[in-house]
Amino acid sequence: MSDTYREKLMLAIALVLAAIYLFPLYWMYITALKSGSAMFATPPAFWPTDPQWQIYGQVWESRNMGRYIWNSVVIALGAVTVITVLGVGCAYVLARYRNVWVDIGLFLILMLQVLPASLMITPIFVGFSQVGLLEYPRLAVILAIAAKSMPFFVVLVRATFMSVPQELEEAALVDGNSRIGAFFSIVLPLARNGILVSAILIFMQAFGEFVYSKSIIQAIELQPASVGLNSFMGPNTNEWNNIMAYATIYVTPILAIFVLLQRRIVSGLTSGALK
Amino acid sequence: MTPQIEFSGVNKYYGAYHALKNVELSIKKGSFTALVGPSGCGKSTLLRSLAGLESISSGTLKIAGDVMNKVPPRKRDVAMVFQSYALYPHMTVEENLTYSLRIRGTPKAEARKAAEEVAATTGLSHLLGRYPRELSGGQRQRVAMSRAIIRHPKAFLFDEPLSNLDAALRVHMRKEIRALHDRLGATSVYVTHDQIEAMTMADHVVVMRAGVIEQQGRPLDLYDRPVNKFVAGFIGSPAMNFLPAVGSEDGRSLVVDVGAPQTVPISTNVEPGRKVIAGIRPEHISVVAADSGLMRVAVSVVESTGSMSYITTATRPELAIVETGRTDVSAGDLIGLSFAPQSVHVFDAGTEERIG
Repeated sequence: MSDTYREKLMLAIALVLAAIYLFPLYWMYITALKSGSAMFATPPAFWPTDPQWQIYGQVWESRNMGRYIWNSVVIALGAVTVITVLGVGCAYVLARYRNVWVDIGLFLILMLQVLPASLMITPIFVGFSQVGLLEYPRLAVILAIAAKSMPFFVVLVRATFMSVPQELEEAALVDGNSRIGAFFSIVLPLARNGILVSAILIFMQAFGEFVYSKSIIQAIELQPASVGLNSFMGPNTNEWNNIMAYATIYVTPILAIFVLLQRRIVSGLTSGALK
Repeated sequence: MTPQIEFSGVNKYYGAYHALKNVELSIKKGSFTALVGPSGCGKSTLLRSLAGLESISSGTLKIAGDVMNKVPPRKRDVAMVFQSYALYPHMTVEENLTYSLRIRGTPKAEARKAAEEVAATTGLSHLLGRYPRELSGGQRQRVAMSRAIIRHPKAFLFDEPLSNLDAALRVHMRKEIRALHDRLGATSVYVTHDQIEAMTMADHVVVMRAGVIEQQGRPLDLYDRPVNKFVAGFIGSPAMNFLPAVGSEDGRSLVVDVGAPQTVPISTNVEPGRKVIAGIRPEHISVVAADSGLMRVAVSVVESTGSMSYITTATRPELAIVETGRTDVSAGDLIGLSFAPQSVHVFDAGTEERIG
């Protein structure tokens, strides 16, 4: 088998796999634009003949999506802030000190990462209700998400810190800076990319978070878009085009961020690993 | 006059590992001191404890008369040039140079002026706006040096600053660093594993092994009178020849064993029958006709660089001989060796300490 033939075959396989993987996304976009009858036509149309653009405005209004999206943004931003402020310090310490306790700490952190949200929600719910945190449901969700995603952030950012040579910090110390000063003026700027990328990943995770929000937030006016989407769907739902329009409005900004930043995200993720 | 830097009874432990053993070292103001030794000998640890990057476990460290044991690096007023240069990658050359001044709150215009002055003396003026990644190895080296001199510190510490440069540049920078030291009237401590760097640059050479200072003194004193076999073998290139020997009957000569026993005169007294090691530098041996000289040996390899000829003998242990210029000796020849009795260093076979 010649090399070019082999390459073409590989490319074809990759394209087929990508098509399968992306098909639901494609289906979401075109279903949103279909009219009620076109949606249930057999055979289904793969391209909407009569795109219903006004559906976005309608869904936005009728479902009060502005409020849901706002709640999602509040929760995601809150979680990212908590995680970044606490996680950066944690990751730095884990990157700079090497001993048995640090290894144990890292192992525990990775263990936390393994536990699924649906398992954690019950103890979290009970705990939060006892300390009265459920009175502030969005804050409660922010804390729960922070706890859930912190390990992921710490592990990524630790790798970034490890790629900053310790000699730079020592040079700053000898140059007259304190340990904290050296951290802020030398280490942090050099680790900025890795931290930003990790924070964006956390934001995207938190923006789509469902389990904690669904369980903790009862009041509709405080629910994020993921829960709003869920309550849109009932057992007898037939307004798939509206649901898909909702989903489109919800995920497109995230997708756009990812596509715009994907090169940086990928290089940020591997920068620590390739040293 | 109080010494600029003084270590007295300094020990350093990493857990159970004893990295510095009872170090006594006093460095005069304005001197250039080289710490030299094989890797793992503790020379870098000594330098880093001087900078404050490592704490010492016991003993006293003084800089300019003040005890520094617990003082953090930023308050020691020393500047350090790192092996990797440790230039801040996110700052321009000018920002790198003025970093220490900005931390101390020097006004911007003043810092800028200082950077320009230093850059002019180190030939960096046209590079002030560049980032470290845009510079060559030699230029980065100069930035690292400039960053140190901009502060007029109490001491300059160099941690193998030339080991990342190619051979030609290294020789050049050697002179440049020494010239800079003289011009600034600075006190410098220079760590290197390269004894040539230590010998050529320093006023005071400190040879270390396994956390212990084996010998310190002026470079040529170390060359002329090494106190033990380790220093003798470490200082000088190519390295000194060592031959097992025993004191002969008259006490003024040694019986050297290089396959066949041969008697060589020495300038010190060694008791008859005492087991010793005779050390002779390759450059102190001269080649003579086979039937004259003190020893008769066969030649195994001859290497010639044009200016120097390196001869290796077929004896066991083999001997290295350096002749200036060219030689007509070739492999397989039988030659005579001659040397002055004063050029034979004698060490005890057990303790390896110098005799006489």
